Amino acid sequence: TAGNKIFHFGPCRIAMSVTEIRSGFTAIKANIQARDPIKTLSILSYPHSLHKVKSSDRCCIIHRLFNFYVDKVFKHCKTEDSYINRKISSIANSFLSVKRKLGQCHEQNKCLCGQGSAEKFQQILANYEGLNVTSAAIKSLGELDILLDWME
Amino acid sequence: SGELYCSLPNPRNVRFESVNMKNVLHWSAPEGTGDGVLYKVKYSVYGVGKWIRKPECRNINRTWCDLSSETSDYEEQYYASVKAFLNGMCSDWMETTRFNPLTDTKIDPPMVSVSSTETSISIILTAPEKWKRSPEGESVSLLRVYPGLQYNVSVLNKKTKKRWFFSVSNNTLVVPWLEPGTAYCVSAQIYVTTPLLHSGFSKEHCVATLKDKTA
Repeated sequence: TAGNKIFHFGPCRIAMSVTEIRSGFTAIKANIQARDPIKTLSILSYPHSLHKVKSSDRCCIIHRLFNFYVDKVFKHCKTEDSYINRKISSIANSFLSVKRKLGQCHEQNKCLCGQGSAEKFQQILANYEGLNVTSAAIKSLGELDILLDWME
Repeated sequence: SGELYCSLPNPRNVRFESVNMKNVLHWSAPEGTGDGVLYKVKYSVYGVGKWIRKPECRNINRTWCDLSSETSDYEEQYYASVKAFLNGMCSDWMETTRFNPLTDTKIDPPMVSVSSTETSISIILTAPEKWKRSPEGESVSLLRVYPGLQYNVSVLNKKTKKRWFFSVSNNTLVVPWLEPGTAYCVSAQIYVTTPLLHSGFSKEHCVATLKDKTA
């Protein structure tokens, strides 16, 4: 599809329509971030930025984060605005396809999880579970650019 | 915190205006307040608990504040806020939306230099530099910030008005098979596919191919 780009996450080569995801997020960013009043906590960046993740842990973290967004975030982000909802489901579909590809790579034992990635992902889950589900999901969605900026 | 009674109208349209990651906070004066309004500014890093005051923008009467230094780490995201004061009264703190320097900055057009032979022109393109704290500071090209940066180049034959467009990733372009003794005008734009950013086109740089010596 348009804007497909090959990403190398450790041993995994994943084609991703990142331009499509980016433009979908740009369209909803102001709306979604305005629904998140908590400026003092970040799901993805607290206490350490994703940029601190070691390159050897990248593949595992990205695999788990795509699972996290598909399984725990998008489904709890229903809004009263049908335009926003359509954009969210379009992003969710793109994530679902990448999640499958990462899953296949993981099953071939090429996307191994070390202690570093396990700790980082546990922190992300703890940040997420520290809020009520809807607030946590909206905050996570509002941080999609943090994930995309780091991935790229 | 000893705040005064806050019934002054609020500053309006508080936002970051960013070019090449020179990140300046701008706002409009509160409605109907006229002269004499003073402001103070604070900012925070998203996900970090505290607001930080900007001393250089305390009790200022202008309606902008340069926060480039405070927001120079483009792996972070930021909020900023402004409060107005007049005759012992104050407004509420008015905040920006979340500011992401990497995706929310505007990019200047590239610098373009052109030279010619009889039948070709050579174009050298230079991406602008990221804002830096001082002239002596290290220069960082936006090419390093946006590895996927590309150039869209327009070449116009001034005689025939025929125009070509090229999209190049490296910073040099040679356009061959041109007419001798003819003026060509070149303009270029920066284009980043993700995050999606593009500059305006540069002003035109014109050069004439050398005359055909054999004619």
